[in-house]
Amino acid sequence: MISSQLYQEYLNCLLEGKRLDCTRIVQDLLDRDIPIKALYNDLFEKSLYRVGQLWEFNRISVAKEHLATAITEGLLNLVYPRLFELEHQHKGKRIVISCAANEFHQIGGKMVADICELNGWDAEFLGANMPLDHMLLHIQETKPDLVGLSLTVYFNMSSLKKGIEVIRSNFTHLDIFVGGQAFLWGGTEMLKHYSGVEYIPTLNDIEKSIKES
Amino acid sequence: MIPDEILHREGFCYLNTRASHLLFVLRKDGRIVQANDSATRVTGDNIIGKNFCEVLVDFTWKADLHSFALDSSEEYIMSIGTVSGLPQSYYFTFQQVAEDIIAFGRLDVEELESMRKEILVLNQELNNATRELHKKNATLKRLNAEKNRFLGMAAHDLRKPIGLLMTYSGFLVEETADVLNSEHLGFLETIHASCGNMAQLVDDLLDVSAIEAGVFPLRLEHVNLAALFSASLEPNRVQACQKGVQLDVDCRGLSGAILDAAKIEQVIGNLVANAIEYSVPGAVVAVRLTCDDRFIRFFVQDHGSGILPEEVGQLFKPFQKASTVKTAGERSTGLGLLISRKIIDAHSGKIWVDSQPGQGSTFHFEIPAQGDNHRDTDEYPFDRLSI
Repeated sequence: MISSQLYQEYLNCLLEGKRLDCTRIVQDLLDRDIPIKALYNDLFEKSLYRVGQLWEFNRISVAKEHLATAITEGLLNLVYPRLFELEHQHKGKRIVISCAANEFHQIGGKMVADICELNGWDAEFLGANMPLDHMLLHIQETKPDLVGLSLTVYFNMSSLKKGIEVIRSNFTHLDIFVGGQAFLWGGTEMLKHYSGVEYIPTLNDIEKSIKES
Repeated sequence: MIPDEILHREGFCYLNTRASHLLFVLRKDGRIVQANDSATRVTGDNIIGKNFCEVLVDFTWKADLHSFALDSSEEYIMSIGTVSGLPQSYYFTFQQVAEDIIAFGRLDVEELESMRKEILVLNQELNNATRELHKKNATLKRLNAEKNRFLGMAAHDLRKPIGLLMTYSGFLVEETADVLNSEHLGFLETIHASCGNMAQLVDDLLDVSAIEAGVFPLRLEHVNLAALFSASLEPNRVQACQKGVQLDVDCRGLSGAILDAAKIEQVIGNLVANAIEYSVPGAVVAVRLTCDDRFIRFFVQDHGSGILPEEVGQLFKPFQKASTVKTAGERSTGLGLLISRKIIDAHSGKIWVDSQPGQGSTFHFEIPAQGDNHRDTDEYPFDRLSI
């Protein structure tokens, strides 16, 4: 439903910081009843990974990357009325998703939470740069079935490791999954040292995984 | 070692073309005679020849360049009007060189970094709060729909037993008048009257739950307005007669119209009944219905105690009643005006009241005569009402 031409147009607008043009494209897709999953997979996820790559290879500045992310996050707000009002078949399962401490890129984790909602899970998104003690307290209070940790910048990997270790030591049987652009640079090997921790690379994979669980 | 001369030349070249610092060379009178590329880019204008004060956003109008230049180590915060329209603050130093003044402006990178981070975090928090809000709104909508379903079911199930109570208590009132003493007969009459009130409440609740659930369809049909008006007022005539209130009825230009007859009858009956209930015996209640090619207009005017201005805005909301008391202590469910409003909304019309405390109230409604532009009952918010 999203042609490569439309994707390219959207990506160009995003990189040029043309918020209103991006809004027009997304609103038009929503008006044409595009499935939310397609919008997330084929427009938001794809373009954000591309923006991230361009930044990682010093092709665009941090400012441009942040602007593109902020625009996309604003566009998610256009989707929410539809996403939350859809009559999902509620699975009675809860997931808590958070960014690692010092990780200020939150949109990937938020999109994962939205995909979980779309699949009938009650998905709480805690936000960026979440202090570990807050996260632990929240997990203790809400007793989720699954915890997701998102990491975008590879250099924050040590914060993620710390997060996994603390959660694992406090909640021995709680399943954890991790994901995000950071893992394109490595890091999945170290996950083998922890039980019940899985790397899930894409939105499609997270959907597949929660459907199976 | 690179000779100083080359370093100075290259440094100046960089400052002139690439650096984000601003550089202005000013005459004694403040006129700009030279500026680096950054200054031109930031101000977005040809600034050579302008006075330095013209590129500043200076609310004090006291930029005294000569006194600034007396101490070149001192920094002054000055805001530049930029091409984006947003002023940008620079930290300026001024240096007297021969007859001219050189002004250097720098950005405070730490300050900008701090602001960037705060804006980023605030934006994220705002977006997260928006997500939560949408999620909670959706939950509230679902809970409200469940509440309406429950309300509808409860009201529906109550209808039959209340009907039985009303019927049998009515029989008893009629058939035991000779047998019971006056006190016991009074008990029965109270039971019978209370059953009537309960039945009305249940009917109103059923209407409200249907409206709230969005299952309140209009049955539009061609209607003879004169016949509809007459039928609407039948119960009101009996009520007015019993209370000794005079109905002054007038209708003009009534012809055919397209509307939901039963529901408009319900509105007219409800508004006129209210007017009678707030009137004292002997008072006159004026009822008018007119029609032209485009609109049907109705009003009912009483000379009762009127409504306080602060209560007018609440009248068409659920379970709201004016503080004034009906003249014979009649009871109401507090849902009648809400239902009337919803019915008029559904006809793409408007309903409002003019009232003066101590002088009475006039309730109006206006709907399209040919039933055009009908909309859902929920699409017309309270604040669009002319009340």
